[in-house]
Amino acid sequence: MRQLAYVFDLNKCIGCHTCTMACKQLWTNRGGREYMYWNNVETRPGKGYPKNWEQKGGGFKDGVLQTDGKIPPKEDYGGVWEYNLQEVLLEGKGNQVVPHEKPSWGPNWDEDEGKGEFPNNHYFYLPRICNHCSNPACLAACPRKAIYKRPEDGLVVVDQERCRGYRYCVKACPYGKVYFNLQTGKSEKCIGCYPRVEKGIPPACVAQCVGKIRFVGYRDDKEGPIYKLVEQWKVALPLHAEYGTQPNVFYVPPMNTTPPLFEEDGRLGDKPRIPLADLEALFGKGVQPALETLGKEMAKRRQAQPSELTDILIGYTNKDRYRL
Amino acid sequence: MRNMTLLALVVGSATLLGAAPAADAAEKAKTVKALITAKQVDALQPDAEIWSQAPATKVSLQPAFPGHPSIVGTPRIAEVKVQAVRGPDRLFVRLEWDDASANGQLVDTASFSDGVAVQFPTNGKVSTAPFMGDAKSTVNVWYWRADGRVEELIAGGFGTATSLRTEGEVAGVGARTPKGWQVVLTRKLTGPKESVNLKRFREIPVAFAAWDGANQERDGFKAVTLEWWRLKL
Repeated sequence: MRQLAYVFDLNKCIGCHTCTMACKQLWTNRGGREYMYWNNVETRPGKGYPKNWEQKGGGFKDGVLQTDGKIPPKEDYGGVWEYNLQEVLLEGKGNQVVPHEKPSWGPNWDEDEGKGEFPNNHYFYLPRICNHCSNPACLAACPRKAIYKRPEDGLVVVDQERCRGYRYCVKACPYGKVYFNLQTGKSEKCIGCYPRVEKGIPPACVAQCVGKIRFVGYRDDKEGPIYKLVEQWKVALPLHAEYGTQPNVFYVPPMNTTPPLFEEDGRLGDKPRIPLADLEALFGKGVQPALETLGKEMAKRRQAQPSELTDILIGYTNKDRYRL
Repeated sequence: MRNMTLLALVVGSATLLGAAPAADAAEKAKTVKALITAKQVDALQPDAEIWSQAPATKVSLQPAFPGHPSIVGTPRIAEVKVQAVRGPDRLFVRLEWDDASANGQLVDTASFSDGVAVQFPTNGKVSTAPFMGDAKSTVNVWYWRADGRVEELIAGGFGTATSLRTEGEVAGVGARTPKGWQVVLTRKLTGPKESVNLKRFREIPVAFAAWDGANQERDGFKAVTLEWWRLKL
């Protein structure tokens, strides 16, 4: 089976949510999917979307499917509120644009809050989609075999004919990336934009990315950016590999390009702004070597020497970033 | 299919064949005895008059055998009271059980509906596996859900239940009582070709299942009869 995979370079993500909007406009703005964000961008450190998904359980432990997972209730995803724009702006009724319900949580509720006190605070953005895992917990959890990996690209999809809405998959996905559609009574998720991929067009979230942070291609394509960044340079790392699902979205961890922490006396210290432990909690022990490699290659460029790695990460053209 | 109302009403008095056996004797014999009437009868409503005449049998339920590693937990419903009425061309089954919280329409991503189901071996044989049938012999399931959905299904083993999508073949009506649910499921004796033809039988194996939505019960996470009962019709 060929496996499609993604690399997201977190150093380039500006948190603009264009990926999220591209996905929403294409797939989830209708039909009971309104609350779903198959693609979301969350601020780290933060609670994420759905709220506290890292504590929701699921995945595998020592190869055994975990059944302790939680089905997030609607409030953990956040409301689907509408604004009275029509009345206020076009009909002159009232003087304040307000949502129709009082929002108390949403997919981007804690945006830019991060951690720490100014000037020693920090945050970064983490865009998330279905990881189209090589060992998907959602697939393993379905008693009806309604979830399968497409043999041609390894994308994980829910057969809407077979699904009966039992939501074992929602429980089992440790990333909180399977959603229940209350209107159809069935579970749904990111489909990797397979109708686009079949035509050689990158998924909408990838194509629309303003920062050009997203790379897409096949794991076994040795000339492609995925293989080079994941296997060769080892600078792109899986998110929470310990969940045991073998995810196929890889992240280039954020470098400490922002100033290091300030000391008491106001001088710049030598501690990294984002604690290594925080990054390792997300991306594992590969973080430090990855950051060292990135640092070395960036230093080369500062000395006007060539670097294949920085060239790949810049991804000058669509052909450089997408190999479908 | 929602809340179908049968137009055929009781005309004159129903002919009663067979008296109510003592409840404990029925439990021992694992037999549910239908009230048999030669007249058209309207038994779809759980409070229809005829149910006061049909013998009632208490059927105890146990946790279903989990057919998949995902299915964990202890189902809550311990017993269902079963009655049946066989009209000239239709079988009605009335099920009544305790369930303190009503879980009907799905209102949240984490909510599940209460439900109840009646299962027959499609070939009428007791050799069919009572746990959703088996590869050789299918079962025919009549399934009522508290969100108003009623379905007729065929299954040939765990994870294979498939809706027959036969709109209106199986009908069901549920009513909330202070303690739980009363539900009537009904279908013509002869149904879709894949399903059981009850006209061929005077006695047929039958099984029951119930789900408590508040406990997130669904699918194989349910309380069931672990062996076939007999329905005399």
